[in-house]
Amino acid sequence: MADSDGKIDRRTFVGNIVRAGGAIGIGGAAVALAAAKGRLGDAVWQIDPDKCIACGNCATYCVLDPSAVECVHNFAMCGYCDLCTGYFEPEPNALNSGAENQLCPTGAIKRKFIEDPYFEYTIDKSLCIGCGKCVKGCSAFGNGSLFLQVDHDRCAGCNECSIAVACSSRAFTRVAAGDPYLLKGREGNG
Amino acid sequence: MNQQSQSTFPKFGLLIGLVVMLAAVAGVIVVLQTNPFGEQGSGLPESFDYDLAKYRKIDPALIGYQQTGEIALAMKEPRAVAVGPEDRIYVAGDRAICIFAPDETKLSRIALDDQPQCLAVGRDGGVYIGMKDHVEVYDPSGTRIADWQSLGDRAVLTSIAPAEQHVFVADAGNRIVWRYDTNGERLGRIGERNEKKGVLGFVIPSPYFDVAMAPDGLLRVVNPGAHRIRAYTVEGEEETPLEWGERSIGIEGFCGCCNPAAIAILPDGRFVTGEKGIPRVKVYGALGNFECVVAGPETFAPMPTSTEETRVPHKLKVIDLAADSEGRIFVLDPDARRICILEPKKEDSK
Ligand code: SF4
Ligand code: SF4
Ligand code: SF4
Repeated sequence: MADSDGKIDRRTFVGNIVRAGGAIGIGGAAVALAAAKGRLGDAVWQIDPDKCIACGNCATYCVLDPSAVECVHNFAMCGYCDLCTGYFEPEPNALNSGAENQLCPTGAIKRKFIEDPYFEYTIDKSLCIGCGKCVKGCSAFGNGSLFLQVDHDRCAGCNECSIAVACSSRAFTRVAAGDPYLLKGREGNG
Repeated sequence: MNQQSQSTFPKFGLLIGLVVMLAAVAGVIVVLQTNPFGEQGSGLPESFDYDLAKYRKIDPALIGYQQTGEIALAMKEPRAVAVGPEDRIYVAGDRAICIFAPDETKLSRIALDDQPQCLAVGRDGGVYIGMKDHVEVYDPSGTRIADWQSLGDRAVLTSIAPAEQHVFVADAGNRIVWRYDTNGERLGRIGERNEKKGVLGFVIPSPYFDVAMAPDGLLRVVNPGAHRIRAYTVEGEEETPLEWGERSIGIEGFCGCCNPAAIAILPDGRFVTGEKGIPRVKVYGALGNFECVVAGPETFAPMPTSTEETRVPHKLKVIDLAADSEGRIFVLDPDARRICILEPKKEDSK
């Protein structure tokens, strides 16, 4: 989505880099974005996806309601599975989008047919509360392409993040505001 | 006046003290109730729980095997197990192949230049080792005799099946099985997607794509995303009626997005399958009918996937399988760095 100046907004930007598989090129563009916001050199909170165990605390410990933590999807790591274990209940009645078959309690994951037998799964950020249930399902059987991140469009930037205090896995870490996402599959991050 | 202020002051002080104390108590209660350190859990309703515990429990009556031996591996990252002539056991890992006698004693070690991904042993004792993008062949004494051509950057070799005059190599990156002659000449591709002909190709969401030769002379290839096992002639023709497999988290089927991750074939043609996600090893009849469980999750070291935790992508450790001429089953338990040896339960121990 471009704003009136023709610039890509931050939400779309993050969506795009995650869609593209994340890693390549994020550095320069994110630094430019942060510089534009005057936050270069600042640190912000982020989740290390390789330490997070999707315990659920991210959904309820944020000072914001709903939480600033959301699920993101690294499409480059995804298997585009018919039976996505991040999307379906462990024992679905059928592989369709019937509510009773879906794992996400808020219906935030959308399933789209690509070509036989592949499906694409995208997160509707407006519905995701960062509970991590899909992250567990994806990691239990699949490639771990679904994971949690603090959405810096929404994060209030608390000095002491209340989720970080409640995170038993010590998955919260400070990262440069100019490069605020820790994407799976990225060099040095998995 | 003086008298009055003297009597009001202690009362006022007492009141302030009381208020401060109440505030402190209220503060402690609030802190305890809000549980800032997260020890009391997220407080999310039950519908947000993800729990596979009930699927992990295996009915003891279904377990038809028992562990009768174990080989501890002095390897950081064991990757694959195979059985060769005289039932010698070959284990690939780190930058080596370790060879063990059937009685578990270590016989020899072949040093490699790189990390092996998979291995198989021919009837003549030739050892075929799959590196990421090519096959290396060693003679029974451990001397490298051939280095087959690279299959390119996309190749991710995951399994090898030597036959009389052919060698079949599973390539998860290219989603095909390569058909070679024993000299390493590439003869063809098996199972390639061809939309015009309505061939969907193998569905391989993660790099676990196994092949094995069966005693009926047909190659068996796992199509993990479809939870099926296909049969092919050595010429690469599919024998559709022999395809089998069922997608189910129930014990008779294959669980998760893509399974089985590994197969082995018993001397009488029955199948041994190994799954990831819920680590379980099972035996199926030659036509794919479920027979029994060999070992369930409780047998294996907790793997990242068996604890439902997120994990470093593409560093998942998954069980591998082999079987010897006596029908003993060898399961590589990578996290515990050991080979479990399992045999059918004797009637009286059931
Ligand atoms: S609190 Fe920590 S472990 Fe739990 S979901 Fe959040 S980042 Fe992951
Ligand atoms: S399961 Fe939870 S984390 Fe996943 S998309 Fe739904 S609300 Fe978001
Ligand atoms: S810093 Fe504040 S707003 Fe941001 S995730 Fe933590 S608690 Fe939520």
